[in-house]
Amino acid sequence: MIVAVASSRDREAFARLFAHFAPRLKAFLMRSGADAVTAEDFAQEAMLIVWHKAAFYNPERAAASSWIFTIARNLRIDALRRNRLAFREPDPSELPDDPILPDAAFDESENARRVNEALSALPEEQRKVLQLSYFHDLAHGEISRRLGLPLGTVKSRLRLAVARLRETLGDMQ
Amino acid sequence: MTVRHLPSDDIMIAYATGVLTEAQALVIETHLALCPRSRSLVEALEHAGGALLDRLPPAALHTDALARTLARIDAVPGYGNAPMPDPEIAAFPEPLRRYQMTPWRTAGRGTQIRRVLTPEDGDHRVIMFKIDPGRKMPQHTHSGVELTCVISGSYSDESGRYGPGDFEEADSDISHRPVIDSDVPCICVVSLMGKVRLEGVVGRLLQPFVRL
Repeated sequence: MIVAVASSRDREAFARLFAHFAPRLKAFLMRSGADAVTAEDFAQEAMLIVWHKAAFYNPERAAASSWIFTIARNLRIDALRRNRLAFREPDPSELPDDPILPDAAFDESENARRVNEALSALPEEQRKVLQLSYFHDLAHGEISRRLGLPLGTVKSRLRLAVARLRETLGDMQ
Repeated sequence: MTVRHLPSDDIMIAYATGVLTEAQALVIETHLALCPRSRSLVEALEHAGGALLDRLPPAALHTDALARTLARIDAVPGYGNAPMPDPEIAAFPEPLRRYQMTPWRTAGRGTQIRRVLTPEDGDHRVIMFKIDPGRKMPQHTHSGVELTCVISGSYSDESGRYGPGDFEEADSDISHRPVIDSDVPCICVVSLMGKVRLEGVVGRLLQPFVRL
């Protein structure tokens, strides 16, 4: 679909990507503590970058979701640096349970499927620490404070999660 | 060429989730350009980021969000190409080619340094070193984290030998004195924060001249 956006500047393909990802990009930023208006603007800006950079997307290297994730991640770094985002403290009540939705299955690529499976197979405690570090932009110390866990425990859970992903990866090569 | 010294998982997660500064991320990206193994780990971490993004419960958008974005597409021309860098910069790994750099300047015998002009961000900065074979760097410690990636040539310090693509992380616990042990100059890219303290008599004499 991104390939269609790139090669024929296909607005319909873009609209489908937008319908799937823009609401999730907004959710992504709200988890970092941005208000709804800022997050909405961020989602639009990220999708604008998707449009302009679609030609650089290589479907053999990355799933659509991971490519769009990296765009959003870099945009957030950029926005934080320029202080364009006024982040509020995330409300702790938002933290506990990110429901794990049944795989939205936007990506059909083999690698994406495997990583998805590996994520689903992670123990809840590891997945939670992983989610906090991806979406809440929290340093390890902060995660440990929020979850009331020793720093060493946070780090070791993250490492275990990464080790699991690394194994998956071994199979991919 | 096999890269032997890899970044820790902690720093790879920090990179993949976007919590490093641009200066630090640039050193990691230089390493990634030279190390397929680390590259595939980052790919897996980014897949995980994508999968987690996919699973987020969507947040409702304004009804005209798509229309507004399409209007912005029409209003904004495509991103222009960056200006062509000078030939030496063009030979560096890709991530470094995105930046302007100051010219080389001499900082002590056999040692040249240049700034890689990453955006202003507190006291974080990126410096490229070109040091002649056999030269020793002054013994130094750090008040912050120092990340190094070797581009060409090699050096050794107390913790081992570092060649192209190798990555080293040093913090305030580490005092090291790298020696260039390749027969060509060693070029490396280093992100610094805080003050670098040179030690020993020579180091203290050099300090005012070598502001890193």
